[in-house]
Amino acid sequence: MTASPKSSLLTVDARTKKRNAAEKRFKAYGIVAIAIGLMFLVVLLTSILRSGLPAFTNTVVALEATVTQEDYDAAEGQLLKTAAYEALLVAKVNEFLTAQGSTIEVDEDFITDRLVPKTGATIREFYKANPDQIGQPVTFNLPASTRISRYFEGDLLREDVTDSRFLMVEDLDVVDEMIAAGLITTAFDWNFITGTDTAVDNPGGAGIGASVIGSFFMMIVVLLLALPIGVAASIYLEEFAPKNRLTDLIEVNISNLAAVPSIVFGILGLAVFIQFAHLPQSAPLVGGLVLTLMTLPTIIISTRASLKSVPPSIRDAALGVGASKMQAVFHHVLPLAMPGILTGTIIGLAQALGETAPLLLIGMVGYVAREYPDGIISGFVDSNSAMPAQIYTWAARADTGFYEKAWGGIIVLLVFLLTMNLIAILLRRRFERRW
Amino acid sequence: MKDLNLTEKSHLMSDTKISAKGVQVYYGDNHAIKDVNVDIEDKTVTAFIGPSGCGKSTFLRTINRMNDTIDICRVEGDILIDGEDIYDPAVDPVQLRAKVGMVFQKPNPFPKSIYDNVAYGPKIHGLARNKAELDEIVEKSLRKAALWNEAKDRLQAPGTGLSGGQQQRLCIARAIATSPEVLLMDEPCSALDPIATAQVEELIDELRQSFSVVIVTHSMQQAARVSQKTAFFHLGNLVEFGETDKIFTNPEDPRTESYISGRIG
Ligand SMILES: Nc1ncnc2c1ncn2[C@@H]1O[C@H](COP(=O)(O)OP(=O)(O)OP(=O)(O)O)[C@@H](O)[C@H]1O
Ligand SMILES: [Mg+2]
Repeated sequence: MTASPKSSLLTVDARTKKRNAAEKRFKAYGIVAIAIGLMFLVVLLTSILRSGLPAFTNTVVALEATVTQEDYDAAEGQLLKTAAYEALLVAKVNEFLTAQGSTIEVDEDFITDRLVPKTGATIREFYKANPDQIGQPVTFNLPASTRISRYFEGDLLREDVTDSRFLMVEDLDVVDEMIAAGLITTAFDWNFITGTDTAVDNPGGAGIGASVIGSFFMMIVVLLLALPIGVAASIYLEEFAPKNRLTDLIEVNISNLAAVPSIVFGILGLAVFIQFAHLPQSAPLVGGLVLTLMTLPTIIISTRASLKSVPPSIRDAALGVGASKMQAVFHHVLPLAMPGILTGTIIGLAQALGETAPLLLIGMVGYVAREYPDGIISGFVDSNSAMPAQIYTWAARADTGFYEKAWGGIIVLLVFLLTMNLIAILLRRRFERRW
Repeated sequence: MKDLNLTEKSHLMSDTKISAKGVQVYYGDNHAIKDVNVDIEDKTVTAFIGPSGCGKSTFLRTINRMNDTIDICRVEGDILIDGEDIYDPAVDPVQLRAKVGMVFQKPNPFPKSIYDNVAYGPKIHGLARNKAELDEIVEKSLRKAALWNEAKDRLQAPGTGLSGGQQQRLCIARAIATSPEVLLMDEPCSALDPIATAQVEELIDELRQSFSVVIVTHSMQQAARVSQKTAFFHLGNLVEFGETDKIFTNPEDPRTESYISGRIG
C-alpha cells in the first residue's frame, strides 16, 4: 500500500510524457540520419551511372565492304598492309556518297584519322581469322572517333568545330549523310569489358578487361595469403596465447597497423618486394603481397572479434566432455565464428580490391595494360594494371573519352564489390543455418 | 571368513575416490578456497551446500581442472583421484576430463543437433566403433537423463531449441555418454521442474551404482534426498563434512546449524 496520491493509469504523468517525447525525438533523429545517408547514396549512384554508362556503349559506323581474293592478296603483298584495307573503305564511302547524290569526296586521312581511327588493322585481323569470308559482302561495325561520336550524341555542336587534324567542319556533312542513312548508330561496347588499354590517342578502343584480370590475380594472392595467415594468427592470439605483455604489445600493434595509411604499405612493398627481393615491377603478385599486408590487420581484428563473441560456455562444454583445446576451437568455436570471419575477410578483400595508393608505388598505376597475360604464371608475374589503377590512369588522361571510361571503370568495380558482398551474404546464410 | 575378507578388501579399495589435501584456490588476490581437506568416496553421492559465493563451484572445478581455463585462477595443494595426483605435471587435463564428467550450472548445449550433442564425447574418445554403437550410446544416455521420450522424434533438431530444463538434461546426457568415473554436477536441477528434478534425482541414484557423484545444490531437501555425504562450505572454508543424516539432524558447527535452519544465506 503506497502513501503517494492516487494516480490513474489512464492519464499520462509528466515524467512519462517527457520520456515519450525524448524517445520520439530520438527516433526522428535516426530517420533524418538515414534519410541523409540514403540521399547521398542516390546522388552518388545517379552521378556514377550518368557519367559511366556511356562508357559501355560506343558510336559505331557500319561500313559494308567486299574484299575479294585479289584485294586480299594485293593488300598482303604491300609494305603497309593495313593502309590497303583502309583504301578499300575510302572507295566504299565515296561510292556511298555518290549514291546519296552528294558531291563530297573523302580521302584516306578522313577515314583513318577522323572517322574510324586505326581501322585497317581490325579489318585485316578479321580476314585473317575468317578467310572464308573473302569475296562475301561483310558489314564492319567500326568504332567512331571521339569527336564524331560526341557530335552524334549531341555533345559537340557544329558551331564549336574548328578545323583540326582531328575533325574538319566539312567532315560533318559526310557524317550527316551517314546518320541520315542510318549508318552511324549506338551499340553496346563489348570491347570495354573484354578489351585492353590503349594509347592516349584512342580512348574509344580502351577496355578494362586486362586490368580486371590483374585485379583477379591480386585478389587470389590476397585470399590465399591473408585468410589463412590472418585466421591462424587470430585463433592463436585469441584462444591459445598466454595473456602477457608481449601479446598485449602485439595486439596494440595490430590495431595500429589497421590504421596505417595504405600508401605506407605501398612504400614498404616497393622497398621490400621490388628493391630488396627483386620481384618484378607492376606485377599482380607484388600488388597482392602489398594488399595482403594491408588486409591482414582487418581480417585479424574481425576474426578475433567474432571468436570473442562465441560464448565461453561453449568452450567449457567442449572441454568438460574431454575435448582438447584444439578440438574445442575447431569443432565448436570456429564454426560459430565463421560468419563473422567470412564477413571480415570479404570486407578486407573489398577494401583491397578498391585500393589505389599502394599500387601507385609499385608501378601498377600508369602501366598501360595492352595485353592479357598468357597464362596463370604470367598472370601473377607479368606487368599488368588493376581496376582502380586503370581508373586512376584513365582519369589522369586529357581526352574526355578516357574520362568517360574512368566512370565506366568505376561501375565495373562497383559491380565486383557488390558481387563480393553478395557472396559474403550467401556464405553467411549457409554457415548460419548450422545454428 | 575368506569371503568376508574379500568384501572388506574391495570395500577398502573402493573407499576413497577423490582425496583433496590442503587445497587453496585464488582468483588473483581473492582467496576463494581456504585449505580444504576432504575425502570423497566412490559409489556415493556427495552434496556440496553453502551460501552463494562460498566457493562450491570453484572447488568442484578443481576436481576436473576446469579452473585451468581461467587465467587468473591459481590452485595449490593436492587432489588425488584413485591415489594419483591430478595436478601432477605429467597429467594431461584432457585425459582427466574424459574420466571426470561435468554438468555446468547454466545449461550449455552445443549449437548442434541433439544427437550430435550427446554423440560428440563418445566420438572424440573413440568409444563407438560404428554408427549403430553410437546410436545405442546416444539412446542410452538420453534415456538415463530422462530426455529420451521428448527427444526421440527430433534427434536432428538443434539442442539449443529445447527448453531450459530439457537443455540441462541434454547436458547431463552428454556428460554421462562418455561413461566417466566421476560425475560433477553444478546445480543440475536449478532450471528443472519438480518432475524432471525427480527424474534427475533418480538418475543420480542410479549413477551411484557405478560412479562417484558430486552435486552442488541450493536445495536442502535435494541434498537430503540424494546424497549420502554432505559438505558444507562457508566463505571458502569447508566447515563441516560428514554423513548427510548427521549434518542435517545433528550438525557440529553452529554455522552449519544456522545455514540449514535458514539463518545464513
Ligand atoms: N572466474 C572467476 N574470476 C574471478 N573470481 C571468481 C571467478 N569465479 C568465481 N569467483 C569468485 O570466487 C568466489 C566463489 O565463487 P563460486 O562460483 O565458487 O561460488 P558458488 O559457491 O558456486 O556460488 P553460487 O552458489 O552462487 O553458484 C566468489 O567470491 C566469486 O566472486
Ligand atoms: Mg556456483
